[in-house]
Amino acid sequence: MPRPVFSPDLTTLCKPMLALLMAASMGSAQAIDLNKLLSGENLNTAINILSNAGDAAKASSGNLGPEQEDALGRSVMANLLGAAPLVRDSALQRYVNQVGRWVALQSDMPNLNWRFGVIDSPNINSFAAAGGYILITRGLWDRLENEAELANVLAHEIIHVTRKHQIKAIASSKTQLASSQLISLIADYNSNKSYSKVGEKLGKAGSEIFVRGLDKNDEFEADQLGMQLAAKAGYNPYAMVSVLQLLGRVNPADSTVALMFSTHPSPQDRLNSIDSAIGDKLEPWAEGVENTARFNQVKR
Amino acid sequence: MKTVLYSLLLVSALAAAESGTVIRKTDLRDKPFLDAKVLAPVATDTQVDIRGRKGAWMEVRLPNGQQGWIKLLNVRTSSGQTSSSAALSNVLRTGSSGKTVTTGVKGLTAEQINNASPNPAEVDRMNGYSVSGNEAKIQALNYGLKAMGVTPITPSNGNNTEEQQNPNMRRR
Repeated sequence: MPRPVFSPDLTTLCKPMLALLMAASMGSAQAIDLNKLLSGENLNTAINILSNAGDAAKASSGNLGPEQEDALGRSVMANLLGAAPLVRDSALQRYVNQVGRWVALQSDMPNLNWRFGVIDSPNINSFAAAGGYILITRGLWDRLENEAELANVLAHEIIHVTRKHQIKAIASSKTQLASSQLISLIADYNSNKSYSKVGEKLGKAGSEIFVRGLDKNDEFEADQLGMQLAAKAGYNPYAMVSVLQLLGRVNPADSTVALMFSTHPSPQDRLNSIDSAIGDKLEPWAEGVENTARFNQVKR
Repeated sequence: MKTVLYSLLLVSALAAAESGTVIRKTDLRDKPFLDAKVLAPVATDTQVDIRGRKGAWMEVRLPNGQQGWIKLLNVRTSSGQTSSSAALSNVLRTGSSGKTVTTGVKGLTAEQINNASPNPAEVDRMNGYSVSGNEAKIQALNYGLKAMGVTPITPSNGNNTEEQQNPNMRRR
């Protein structure tokens, strides 16, 4: 009986394929090294497998259910609030929720369980996490001059959530560790395992994006869509320009802006992109609300 | 002696009013409207003192003392040599101990975020402050806000042309 001709080939093929699948789950850096060991036709197969595995990871992470997104956001926020707690001022906390929730109502996700807060840090920064969690720092709050500026800052963060920029960043090749953990979370969810075990690890991994930053183009997008969202909520969208001019005045050497400047395009670049993409197009909405009595009450 | 130093710091902080640079040739107008009277042409690179803002406009004073309105987006601010007010107040605070006049503000650093212990109780506290969409809507209407229709504008990165993003296109 003749031996099947493909049998030996199958054995030799299987090992690299297995290695590749493992590599794909470990991260593309390692996977590329393994690629070098392969040659000829196997290389093409390997590349296909890798790109498919990458796509699958991205697609599945982009398709987190609402509960999974909330779980991810909760663990990320627990970590951030572990670094800096909320300011102990319930009037302020309620106020930012009133403004934020109103702006979010005009977004693509009006019914998400949006939550806002001010954390006790002198830094100038703001953060958003999947599931509708948004925090700004006391350092930023202290510098805001009116409600329209606050609304535009919150709108920028709301866009990061509705456009799933953080999830995209976690799943991107930049953060392979986070990506693999996100995939394991999805696997655990799909097998109905308890979330809490991976929660802490995930919070750490998810917080990585606060340190590494999002894609620069996602920041430009959040600025421009955020201005439009603020306009929809009845605020002057050009208050975003004032906020960025304010950031532009802070000495980059100042430690209060170190993290924000390392994770965002420069205020000048952000203003330039608003200039060319938005320009005067939102001027019909520029007569929107600039400030309210409630802002001044809380600000005192 | 110390008092004099702090006074000087305060004075320089007050004197360092917000200023900016005009990035493109424009007109100084007497009111924040496009059809308002033109007071004077403003050349690129003119340094202006910023007096205030309204809508898409900024009230400025030109080097010759003339005051009026130009569009916000025609002006860029820069930090110059001054530091933020937080850093300044910190200078004053640390200065009073007689030790140093450098910035020592302890910010939220990458390290702090990386090394934080999760605080789920604080997330619960945050949840406790949330408001319903309905409540936010009623409040917003009370403060004169209304939902507006906005014609969507597609976002783009204005800093890079397509050519810069894709070097292959240059060869065409």
